[in-house]
Amino acid sequence: MNYLVTGCSRGVGLEICKVLLEQGHCVYGVARSHSDSFSQLEKEYPDCLFFKNVDLSDSDNVRSILFKDFVSNKVILHGFVNNAAIAYDDIVTNLQLSKLQEMYAVNVFTPMLVTKYAIRNMLLHHTKGCIIHISSISVHTGYKGLAMYASSKGALEAFSKNTAREWGALGIRSNVVVPGFMETTMSSTLTQEQKARIYKRTSLKQATDIHSVAEMVAFLLSDKALSITGQNINVDSGTI
Amino acid sequence: MKEKVLSIINQIRAAKGLEAIPTLNLSDSLRDDLGFTSFDLAELTVRIEDEFDIDIFEDGLVNTVGEICAKLSK
Repeated sequence: MNYLVTGCSRGVGLEICKVLLEQGHCVYGVARSHSDSFSQLEKEYPDCLFFKNVDLSDSDNVRSILFKDFVSNKVILHGFVNNAAIAYDDIVTNLQLSKLQEMYAVNVFTPMLVTKYAIRNMLLHHTKGCIIHISSISVHTGYKGLAMYASSKGALEAFSKNTAREWGALGIRSNVVVPGFMETTMSSTLTQEQKARIYKRTSLKQATDIHSVAEMVAFLLSDKALSITGQNINVDSGTI
Repeated sequence: MKEKVLSIINQIRAAKGLEAIPTLNLSDSLRDDLGFTSFDLAELTVRIEDEFDIDIFEDGLVNTVGEICAKLSK
């Protein structure tokens, strides 16, 4: 199977690539920058892993950049994993429109456009494909400073639910994986004390395991999840 | 170009169990005369784009066969 994964060079995206490659799939990875860990994967899977350097804030050109040169109609796309995101961490009274717009371009507008062209590829090939959006537990619990970021992920959850309704008749599924706080670069600005407070709000009293999130994504992409669509699946150490 | 559009229309009609139309009638409504649903129109758009590299729905709705041909001959 061929899967498009955004934000592939580090964190959850990198782990998703690893799991999919180990399962024998081909991955079309997209990210702003390369990483040593991703280069290592490229050496291990030279025939199944492809990389494209893309600035996902450029929503206007996403079709020509991604779907003309990279995942063209010659590639039969079986799934799209929308993982790339940027965080905008501030309290609401400090909200700046330009930062909000940049975050929405990367987290919402471009993923919606990529979904459009992914479904178009699926229509062309009559593929019962699958779309996965990576959301955030902040949508459901709320954290100080994450109102803007969480709102972008909430938009994705609504988009996924309605995409599932719209395209289910053709066998195309759309689901959301909702991770809890993970030890990634995105949460690296938090202090140990802040992290400890967050993990105390989970049943397992620890960070969400990145590999567990990646395995859930791979499961939802697979035929094992054939009857699962329009769902938000929490992988969050039992966040309370 | 018209032969290719006819072939694409008939390909989609065949998948729906509808008989092939012999020729393109420019005044035919895609929905009312050809029996296309919004999903069929989406597939039509994708197949035409794959063939001609033109997105017929990019700047608004297309209702008739003639409107498709006009967009493709621009």
